[in-house]
Order: sequence, then C-alpha cells, then structure tokens
Amino acid sequence: MAIDNVTVKKIVIPDRFKPVLGASGFYFMMMAVFIYFAPDVFLQVGMFTAVFLSLPLFIIMGLSLVFVTVSGEIDLSFPSTLALTGLIFSLTLTATDYNFWLAFLASVTTGVACGLFVGFLVTKLGFSSLITTLGVNFMFAGITQVLNKGQLRQFPKFDDSPIRAAVVGSWGPIPAQLIWGLGIALILGIIFNRHRFGIHVHIAGDNPEAGRAMGVNISRVKVLCFVLVGVCCSITSTISILMNSTYYSTMGEGYLLPVLAAVFVGGTPVTGGKGTIAGLVIGATTVVFINTGVVAVGLDGYYTGLGFGLVIILSLLGHRALSGRLSR
Amino acid sequence: MDKSPLIELIGVEKTFGRVQALSNINLKLYEGEIVSLVGDNGAGKTTLTKIISGTESADDGAKIILRGQEQKNWNAAKARKLGIETVHQNRALSEQQSIYANVFMGRELVNRFGFVKRKEQIKETEALMRKIGYTSKVWTPHSPVLKLSGGERQGVAISRAILFDSSLVMLDEPTTAMALSEQAEVMEFILNLKAQGRSVIFISHNPWDAHAVADRFVILDRGRLVFDGPKGNTTADEFISMLRDVAKKGSV
Ligand SMILES: Nc1ncnc2c1ncn2[C@@H]1O[C@H](COP(=O)(O)OP(=O)(O)O)[C@@H](O)[C@H]1O
Ligand SMILES: [Mg+2]
Repeated sequence: MAIDNVTVKKIVIPDRFKPVLGASGFYFMMMAVFIYFAPDVFLQVGMFTAVFLSLPLFIIMGLSLVFVTVSGEIDLSFPSTLALTGLIFSLTLTATDYNFWLAFLASVTTGVACGLFVGFLVTKLGFSSLITTLGVNFMFAGITQVLNKGQLRQFPKFDDSPIRAAVVGSWGPIPAQLIWGLGIALILGIIFNRHRFGIHVHIAGDNPEAGRAMGVNISRVKVLCFVLVGVCCSITSTISILMNSTYYSTMGEGYLLPVLAAVFVGGTPVTGGKGTIAGLVIGATTVVFINTGVVAVGLDGYYTGLGFGLVIILSLLGHRALSGRLSR
Repeated sequence: MDKSPLIELIGVEKTFGRVQALSNINLKLYEGEIVSLVGDNGAGKTTLTKIISGTESADDGAKIILRGQEQKNWNAAKARKLGIETVHQNRALSEQQSIYANVFMGRELVNRFGFVKRKEQIKETEALMRKIGYTSKVWTPHSPVLKLSGGERQGVAISRAILFDSSLVMLDEPTTAMALSEQAEVMEFILNLKAQGRSVIFISHNPWDAHAVADRFVILDRGRLVFDGPKGNTTADEFISMLRDVAKKGSV
C-alpha cells in the first residue's frame, strides 16, 4: 500500500500542552487588541509595573484554587479566609509589637485551621463543596467583621522595614512580590506534576473510587487541598498588608471572580482530574491586565465586568476548539 | 491437609441499607491455589472481593486473618502492602491520567521526599506493555486511558496487578469486554500466577472458564456461601448442573 510508505509529518501537539497554548494564544490576542486601541497606555513600562504589583496576589490564590479544582472540589470561601488571616496577622502584629514572624505564623495557623474546617465538612460529612464554601465564606466574613470592629489598621512602622523591602520592595521595574509569586508557582507546579501528592490530587478529581480501591487516601488529599487554600490566603493577605501598610476587613472582596476566572481562562476545566499551573499564571496575567487596563485607558470600572465576561466565554470557546470538541 | 491458610475470613457480613449483600461468610484461602468464585448476578462476589481488598469494610464482628494475624482497620493501602492485588470489576482506572500513572496508582515509585520517579515508572510501564503484548503501536505509557479500548483498559488493570509482588491476586470478571484471543491469554495468565506460587480468586460469568482453571469452587447465592469444595474429578457438566441447582433451590 502506497500510503504506508509515505510518512506524513504532522505537527502533533501533546494534549497536556494544549491548555497552556490556548491560554497564551488568548493572552497575546487580548494584548494585541489592547495595544491596537490604546498603544500609549499598553506599551508603557508603568502599565506593566502596575500589573506586576497585584498579579502575584492573584497567582498565589489561583494556584491553590487549581489544586482544589483538579481534586474535584471548589472553594468559594477564600475571600473571607483571606480577610480573616489578614486580621489575625494584624492583631498579632499589634499584640507582639511588630513581631513579623510570629504574626505570619499566627496567620498561617489560622489559614490551616480554616482549610481543615472546610475539608472536614466536605470529606467527613460529605457536603457539596460549592454550597459549603459559599456558606463558610459568609461565616468567616462575619467572624472577621465582629473581631475587627470596623477598624482600619495601619502599620506605618513597616514603611522602611527590611522585611517589607524583601517581600514587596522593588527591583527596578519588577516588584519583589512578583518574584515570590513566580517562585511559589514554580514550587507548586513541581508538586502538582511530580510529587505523589500532586498525582493523587489528579486522581481524586478524576476517579476517586478508583483511587480508593488502589489505596489512595482521597479524603486526606482533598483536605490538604483546602488547607493549601488557607495557607495561600495567609501568604496573600500578608503580602497585601505589607504592600499598603494597612489592613482593612474587606480586603478579600475583589478576589473571588478574578481568581476563578484566572483558573478557568488558564485552561483548568471545572470537571476535575486535569489542570495546569503554567496556564493559571497566564490566566492570572490576562485577568489582571483587564483589571488594570480598563481603568488605565480611562474607561469606567463597569467595563471590567464586561471584559471578564468576554474573556471567560471566548477562552472557553478557545479551549474547547483546541481539545477538539466544539459541542459538548 | 494441615497447611495454615494464607487468608481466613470469619463471620463476614455486609449490609447496604436494607440489602444484605453477604451473610456469615467463612472462607479459607491457601497458598498457590486457584479458587473460582461463582454465583448469579448480585450474589455478593464483588462485595466479597472488595472486603478482602480493603475497598469496602465488612460490618462489625467480621474477622480477617492474614498469615495467622488478625487484621484491624483493614484498608486498601494495607492490603496492597501485604501482597493482595485486585483487578476490580469496574477496572478502577483514572481515565484522564496516563497509562503509567494508572499502573502505579497508589503505589507510586517515589524518592524519600515523595517525588515520583517518573522515568523509572515509564520504563517499567513500557516493559509491562510489551510483556502483555499491546498489539496497537499507537499507545505509549503517556497515553491517557480514555483513549484505550475496553480490552486494552483491562490489560492495564491486569498488568497493574502483576507489577508488584503479591501473594493473592483477585480478578473480578476480568475477561468482560475482551476478544476471544485476549480471554485465552487471561486464562493462561491465571495459571501462570499459580505456577509462581500465588493464590488466585477468579470470578467469571463463563462457567467453562471458571471450571477450567479452578482448584476449588466457592459458590455464593444471595449473599450466602452455599458450596465450598475442591474440584477433584468434577467435570464441567457436573459443575454447571451444580450451578443450576443453586439457582433453582438455593443449595447444591
Ligand atoms: N455500594 C452498594 N450500595 C448498595 N448496594 C450494593 C452496593 N454494592 C453492592 N450492592 C448490592 O449488594 C448485592 C451484591 O452485589 P455484588 O457484590 O456486586 O454482586 P455480584 O458481584 O455477585 O454480582 C447486590 O444486591 C447489590 O445490589
Ligand atoms: Mg460483580
């Protein structure tokens, strides 16, 4: 047969690269549109610096959400956990006369406790994580408000501290927190793809019954994912407090939709068992550019929502086209 | 016979809500024997293998004794560590993951920090795929299981059960969705396990297959153990009429 002798060289993209490819293609398309319409804004170094300031916060939160999503659950409680861990950080800071490490430890402990609480409700009581974390989000927000008593907490003493310089200082146009954010992404990326825990996270969201039959402790894996969200909340809130030298109890409010958007735009499907860390980083960049860009070009803030909506829906189309299924 | 059993079940019961899936099962399994576990749909065969493999826990009061040691808090991880491998009826595969991830699922090769030795896993999976004779050259250890045919998936589940040293292998209807030639290979494979000194629990819908490889028959009927005896000189026809009797009268 003649056909057998002709080797048709076709470029085959391995499936696991497709989400990243889709997310980056989408990112560049969006940037092209931005630059076309507002070159004076989007070609400035200042624009990128502005994006890099808040990008790491969204990356760190998004990373933990990728783990939870891939494990087959969802967590909507992180905005409140973020505010609560930030409050504990602030309270400890005041009580210990600026002992940063003790305050950070207290914040991380709080984050872990929040994660264990959610994990317990979801795995031991078998509650739906969507509804549970929705409820927990209200609950933690309430606790935070009660404990905070409506105060704005400022920490001017931080302004020239070395710890502030190390965490949120700037290295030229690059803010230090970007390096931290990317570093955490690298570490979590390696764990996600190469560590036994990461492998089990995939199995938990793909076929938990199979995992259990093969001796994987699926409940523990899921609980650890929720704990990771808690820890990432405390890291994010700490960075955010250092950035502004201020704590306010509504600090988590702007995160919910952009972080979830970053996860899905990045190419991690809601269905579990699959996801990408590199995609998340690109997805977060896309989302933060919209966040920052809409304001930078002088558009009304309302347009941010419109931008998110377009991006999410268009990116879903893109990912689906790449995975070869335009209809369900 | 004065051998001590490899595994002994005493008073195993299992209820799912109102369904009594197993009632008072007492069973001993010896080294190097093939037990054909048969019975109608819903007889409790799968439930019994799940209890032995630690996937389901038996109701209170049951005892599982492995090599003379009573096992407490029996679970799947422990069972595998102690040498019990299972080809589950539902295959227990994680379909979006690669073949090699499935082969090593739950028993990943890791370094002391818990990082997976990926290259080693891939290499062993390649060797395994060659050994079980994957005819399709399209698949590599990286291929996701969802692209495989039913028989090929079965192959992954079976090869996972032989990868690790084990003393008991349970196969729950392993030949479903297989071509005839593949089925013959599985029968060969089961005899091989025995030749290596391992014990086998084999569940099949096909009474001829069940008869062919068995050293001993265990028949379940609606959760009760109604027959347990050596094959001896029992012919396939006699075995099949035993099964008919059980279906009709609930006893042999
Ligand atoms: N997870 C479960 N929940 C409820 N009932 C179950 C469950 N698993 C098995 N059963 C019931 O237990 C009985 C035995 O099932 P099973 O062990 O699968 O039988 P077999 O493998 O012999 O066909 C059946 O009546 C079945 O419906
Ligand atoms: Mg069955």
